[in-house]
Amino acid sequence: MSTPTATTATPLEPAAPPPEAGTRKEGRARTAALAVLRTLAPVLVALIVGGLVLQVSGINPLAVYELMLTHAFGTREGLAGTLTSATPVLFTGVATAISFRAGVFSLGAEAGFVLGGLTAAWLAVAVDGPVVVVTLVAMAGAVVAGGLFSVVPALLKTQLGVDEVVSTLMFTFVATGLVGWIVNAYLLAPGQANSSTESVPFSLPRLLPPSSLNIGFLIAVALVAAYWVFLRRTSVGADLHHVGVNARFAAAQGIAVNKVVFAAMVATGAIAALGGAVHALGVVGKFVVGGFSAEYGFTGIAVALLARRSAWGLIPAAIMFGAFANAGTTIQLFDNIPLDIVDVLQGTVMVFAVASFTLHLKRRRTAA
Amino acid sequence: MATAMTTARLGAEHISRRFGAVQALSDVTFSAAERTIHALLGENGAGKTTLIRALSGLDQPDEGWVVNRGEQVRFSGPREAFASGIAVVQQELALSPDLTLLENLVLGTEPARGGVIDWRKARARAEDIAESISARVPWDRRAGDVEIGTQQQLEIIRCLYRGADTLILDEPSAVLAPSQIEGLLRLLVELREQGNTIILITHKLEEALSVADEVTVLRGGRVVTTQAAAELDRSTLSQLIVGEDLQQVRAPRTTPLGAVVLDVDRVQLAGRQRAVGPVSFQVREGEIFGVAGVAGNGQEDLVEALIGLRPCREGTIRFDGRDITTASVGARRTAGVGYISGDRRHEGLSITEPLVDNVAIGSHHAPPLARRGWFSPGAARRHAADVLRRFRVRHGQVTDPASMLSGGNQQKLVFGREISKRPRLLVAAQPTRGVDLRGIKELQQELVHARDDGTAIVLVSQELDELLTLSDRVLVMFHGTPAGIFDPTETDARARIGRAMLGQQSGAEVAS
Repeated sequence: MSTPTATTATPLEPAAPPPEAGTRKEGRARTAALAVLRTLAPVLVALIVGGLVLQVSGINPLAVYELMLTHAFGTREGLAGTLTSATPVLFTGVATAISFRAGVFSLGAEAGFVLGGLTAAWLAVAVDGPVVVVTLVAMAGAVVAGGLFSVVPALLKTQLGVDEVVSTLMFTFVATGLVGWIVNAYLLAPGQANSSTESVPFSLPRLLPPSSLNIGFLIAVALVAAYWVFLRRTSVGADLHHVGVNARFAAAQGIAVNKVVFAAMVATGAIAALGGAVHALGVVGKFVVGGFSAEYGFTGIAVALLARRSAWGLIPAAIMFGAFANAGTTIQLFDNIPLDIVDVLQGTVMVFAVASFTLHLKRRRTAA
Repeated sequence: MATAMTTARLGAEHISRRFGAVQALSDVTFSAAERTIHALLGENGAGKTTLIRALSGLDQPDEGWVVNRGEQVRFSGPREAFASGIAVVQQELALSPDLTLLENLVLGTEPARGGVIDWRKARARAEDIAESISARVPWDRRAGDVEIGTQQQLEIIRCLYRGADTLILDEPSAVLAPSQIEGLLRLLVELREQGNTIILITHKLEEALSVADEVTVLRGGRVVTTQAAAELDRSTLSQLIVGEDLQQVRAPRTTPLGAVVLDVDRVQLAGRQRAVGPVSFQVREGEIFGVAGVAGNGQEDLVEALIGLRPCREGTIRFDGRDITTASVGARRTAGVGYISGDRRHEGLSITEPLVDNVAIGSHHAPPLARRGWFSPGAARRHAADVLRRFRVRHGQVTDPASMLSGGNQQKLVFGREISKRPRLLVAAQPTRGVDLRGIKELQQELVHARDDGTAIVLVSQELDELLTLSDRVLVMFHGTPAGIFDPTETDARARIGRAMLGQQSGAEVAS
C-alpha cells in the first residue's frame, strides 16, 4: 500500500479546530430538535389556518379538533379506521419516497395504485386455487403491472430527458383512462350500479374485526422497515442515496445514474401497485371505476414530503393523513361543520410540508 | 518602484475578528500607501479574505479600525466603502454573458439623457479609461464570448468607471493562463502609474515579487511582516508564509517506465465549446503525462472522455490493451481507473455529505465494505478513518460533512479515496487548484508516490510549474487539437510550451 510521506507530524493546515465534546452534544440535540420541528411545523400551521377558517365560520375550532382527535385515535374503532385509511397512503408514500431519494419527483404512485388494484381484483376472481396462492398471485401480478407501466415514463426520463413530473402526471391520466376502459369493456360485473369488477370471494385477514383493518397495514410497515434496511445496509441503497444528493458526483464515481433513476421510477409504480392490490383485496373487495382511489397516489406524495428523508417518518406521516381522512367521515355527521375543513387541513399540511421552516433558523456559517 | 510611499491610502489598525471558535484576525495592522501595489499573502485560512471583507465594508471587525486616507472609519457596508473609492474585484466575475462588454460596463450606471441611454458618451468614457491604462477592449462583443482575461479587464475598468481609485483584487490570476497573467500584471502596473492604489491578494509568490511595492504576510490571522518587495526573495517569502522552510517537490525518476497502460488512438469528441481531437498519446506505468492548455481548449473534455463521462465520436481508447472506448464510468473505475476531478466541490466530493460517504463511495460494492450486496456502515467508517489517517486529512468526526474541511484537506480526501484503490491509471485534473503552498507540496508528493508505485498518471493542470516539475512529457492542447508534446527537461521548455498554449508555434515538436 502506498503510504503518504511523513515529513512532518504537525497538523498541516489551519483548519477550524475540532468542536469540543460539549458543543457536539449540544449540536446533536439541536439537530434532533430541528428535525422534530421541521416535521411538526407544517401540521401546526395547518391547524392554525384550519382554526381560522372554522372561527370565521362561527365554529369553535378547539371543539372540532377535539372531536377529530377523539374519533381518529380515541376509540378502538376510530383507531382501526385511522390505520385502515393510513394503509394505502403508506404504500404510496414509500413508493414515492424511493423516487424522491433518487432526486426524481415522480408522481407515478397514483397510476401504479389503480393499475395494481385492477390487476389484483381481476386475478383474484380469475385464478382458481387456495386463497393464499391466489392472494400471492394477485399481488405479484399487481406489482408487475405497476412496474411495467412505469417503464415508459422511466425510459422517457433516462433516454430522452423528459421531465418526470410531466410524464408521470400524463401517465396518471393514461392509467385512469385505461382501467376505466378495461373494466367497462371486459371485466364489468353484471347487475352493478357502478362500473366495477366482480367481487373478490375472499378478503385479506382482518386485524380488528369488524373494522376493515387488515394485514395490509402490517405489510406496509414491513415495507417501511425493508426500505430503511435497504437505504442503510445495502450497496444499491447507497447508490440511490448518492444519486439523489449529487448526481454529477455519483456519475463521476462510477455509479450508473440512469440505471438508478430508472429502477427508482419503476419501483415507485410497483410498490404503489402493491398498495392498490392490498386495497382491492382487503378493503374494497373489487375494483370500482372512478371510486377506487381517493387520490391515494397524490396523498402519498404529501406523506413522502412530510417524512422528509426519514424512512420511519413515513409511518407517522401516513397515520396523520389517515386520521384526517377518518375524522372527515365523522365530521360529516355534524351538519353544522363544513366537511371542507378536512381538505383545508390536508392542503395546508401539504403546502407547508414542502416549505423549509428551518431556512430562517439556520445560522449562516461564516468562515475566515 | 514608486518613490513617494508616504501617504497612506487604505489600511487596518489593530483589527480583530472572531468567528465562533476561530480567531480569523488578531490585531492586524497594515497600510497600503497611495499609488502603490501592496501584496497580501498567506495560506488558506490565514485571514486574507476576512481582512479584505473588513476593508471593503462587507464585514465589521470586532475590534480596530479601517484607515481610509489617514482617517479611522468603520464602513457600514460595501456601498460606503465604494463611495470612498474602494472597490473589490472578485475572483468569480459577475458579468452578464449575453450583454456586450460596453453594456456590461454601464449596467446599473447608464449615462442617460431624457430617459435614453447616451451610448456615445458611455463609449467615449469607456475608451478613455481603457486607453489610459493601455487596455484594448472589444466593446461590442458579448461578454460570454470573450476570454476570461478580457472579462477580468472589464471588471477592473468597471470599477474605475464608477470612480474607484483603490482596487482590491482577490486572487485575480487564479483563473488565468500564464500569458494572460502577464497581461494582468502589466495592467496592474499601468493602473498604479495612473495613480491608483492596488491591494493584491495572491498565492503566487512570483506575482507579488514582480509587481508589488510592498508585501504584507499574514499567518494564522496575524501580520508576520510588512516589507518592501525589493528586500524579499522567493524562498524567504515562502518561509514567511508557511512559517518554515518548504522543500520544493522533486520528482527524479528512479524506476524505468513499464508497459503501456493508456493508449489514446486518434480520439475525436464533441467538447463543451468545440470539437476536440484527433488526439493520440500513450501513457506507461510509472509515467506522469502532463496536459497543458489555456482553460477551454479541450483538455477538460479530454479528461471526461478518458473517464467515460463524455462519449468519443471517433478513435479508440485502450486500457491495458483492452478497448474501453464505450465502457461506462463504473466499468472503467472497477478496471482500475482513478479520477481526481477538476471540480472538487461538485464532482470530486458530495460536499454536504459525511466524510465517510465521500471516502467509501466507489468501494461500497465490494469487500471489505460490502458482501453480496450487503453494506456494512461499520466497515465503511473503519475504512474511512484509515484512509483519512493515512493521507493525513485533518478532520473532526467521520460523520462531519465534507464542507467542514479546508480546501487542501478536501483534496487530500479525494487523493486518499482514489490512490488507496491503487489505480492502474490516475486521471488528475487541476489537482492542486485552490490549495495553499504546503498542501500543494503534499499533494504533488502523493502524485510522485503513486507514480513510483507504477501508476500511470494523466495530469491536467493550469500551473506550468507543476507540469514542468512532475511530468515526463507535456501535451499542449490548443483549440481542441494537440499543439505538440514537449520534454519538460529541455532548457526552453517553458517558453515553448507557453507559446504552444497560445497557438504561436510552427510545426509540431514531438518528443515522445
